[in-house]
Amino acid sequence: MSALSSAWNLLERVAYNHGRKAGLTCLVLAILYLWFPIFVVTFMSFAEREVLTFPPSSLTLDWYLVFLDNDAAISATITSLQISFITTPIAVALSVLIAYAIDRYVFPGKSILQLVAVLPIVVPLIVVGVAMTIFFGIVGIQASFWTVVAAHVIRVIPFTVLILVPTLVAFDRSLEEASYDLGANELTTFRKITVPNIMPGVVAAGLLAFTISFNEFVYTYFVKDARTQTLPTYLWDQLRQHATPEVNVISVVFIVFAISTVLIAVALTNVERITTHDG
Amino acid sequence: MSSARLPGIRANVADGFEHWQSFLRDRPRLKIFLIVFPPALVLAVFFLLPLVFMAYLSLLEGMPPAPATFENYMRLVTQEVYLSILWRTTVITAQATILTVLIGYAIAYSMVRFSRRTTMILLLVIMPFWTNYIIRMYAWINILQTNGVLDAALLFVGVINEPLGVLYSHEAVLIGFIYIYLPLAVLPFYASLSYLDQDLIDASMDLGAGPIKTFLSITLPMTKNGIMVGVILVGIPIFGSFITPQLLGGTDNTMVGMIIENQFVEAFNWSFGAALSITVAFIVVAMLVLGMLAGGNFFDLGGEDE
Repeated sequence: MSALSSAWNLLERVAYNHGRKAGLTCLVLAILYLWFPIFVVTFMSFAEREVLTFPPSSLTLDWYLVFLDNDAAISATITSLQISFITTPIAVALSVLIAYAIDRYVFPGKSILQLVAVLPIVVPLIVVGVAMTIFFGIVGIQASFWTVVAAHVIRVIPFTVLILVPTLVAFDRSLEEASYDLGANELTTFRKITVPNIMPGVVAAGLLAFTISFNEFVYTYFVKDARTQTLPTYLWDQLRQHATPEVNVISVVFIVFAISTVLIAVALTNVERITTHDG
Repeated sequence: MSSARLPGIRANVADGFEHWQSFLRDRPRLKIFLIVFPPALVLAVFFLLPLVFMAYLSLLEGMPPAPATFENYMRLVTQEVYLSILWRTTVITAQATILTVLIGYAIAYSMVRFSRRTTMILLLVIMPFWTNYIIRMYAWINILQTNGVLDAALLFVGVINEPLGVLYSHEAVLIGFIYIYLPLAVLPFYASLSYLDQDLIDASMDLGAGPIKTFLSITLPMTKNGIMVGVILVGIPIFGSFITPQLLGGTDNTMVGMIIENQFVEAFNWSFGAALSITVAFIVVAMLVLGMLAGGNFFDLGGEDE
């Protein structure tokens, strides 16, 4: 018994003396693990030879030129941007309505709306993707650019709702009352008080929506037609056939896109808002 | 349009709004309806209805009109190959989730307790997460393939003499899943750990408990909810995944998501694919309910519930 308790004490002492060091080491290793693959593809995008070997024999910008010259890749990029630019305002507008209703009103079916709005996050992507294909197939809606947009709106809404509900809840409504008391009508109050106050949340939601849509693959893969090719689906085809180093260039495009959106989001709002929703 | 008329029009528009507003103010239920209806319609048509259609198709022999049948589900439970794939999917999901949660908790704990640059580290953790999923898998193909980055590094150091070629293995799939979902696990852990009252920890230490005992009796129980949210966030998408096992796992590591994808891309047996999807959805709902019973309050949006 005393041997056990002295062993325990030893453990506690080790944890006390070295816990911090061990924890920080773990942290550094984890960050290296998360960033190493990103450095690898970035580095390989400058590799000269077509066969993917490491380390590359010499460095070049040729694959960037190949990418810029590749009509299929460029048109996939443009399609992706178009879809994201159309999806974002639709999803954000619908989410503002949902968040506003959840925050302000009591109505029948409120808890159902609350559930369904975030449900797409927890249903595996493939299940919803397949369900949409089946739905469009049975109803007779041809797969197209627009079925992809509809799918993207559903994909994005849970995330934007999760950002916008806390934004609206945190908004101090006595500001609106003060505005009414001072004689402003509802529209003026909404424009001058409500909108400016929830704007950071709306911008964060918009950025998140754009990012998710630009990166979306699974829904798109199932609901798109043969002609509509987004950058992620183009990439998938490349990987399934044979990957040229051009794929590394596309990777760098996505990495730069991801880093810049996160940085913009951080500059515009606080980090907590884009990363957590736990209250 | 002449500029002289503009104020008049503006006044008209404002009048119109004023009128419309008072009209709605007298009819609060109509106002709520107008706010709720558009998003509810979109969610119903493009999310709920497809799920209903899928359930319906899973009970038919083929695309409607077709006779009803239970054959799709029978095939699933009677053919050993599908049961073993479901089992393998469950095992991989459990392994990947446990590893991700352990590592993610260690990261979040170290961030909150030991590090002062929390914001920057949080950024470093989430940025890779916003990089495209397929890109991240592609990066691991480069690292794990025979004579890839890992082999080159290990050969160079002299740890191995022959290339390992970890790609297309169970381990490769686990590495890929942990890589993808680690940031997603860190976030809820970080949130619940940073809400934890430091005074409780100090009190425990003052009363003579060591760091391990304090962790086991204070920190761990008080962050249980965050842990369950992390388990749900990580476990559910892994169970339905097909990209990672397809790109990193090869033929020996088939997961149920790949079988579903196959029904729509190659086999063109939509009814069977629908039955598989419904099965996955049910398993996931079961996981979710269990997780919520264990304390993961996932759906709490924080709105006013009266």
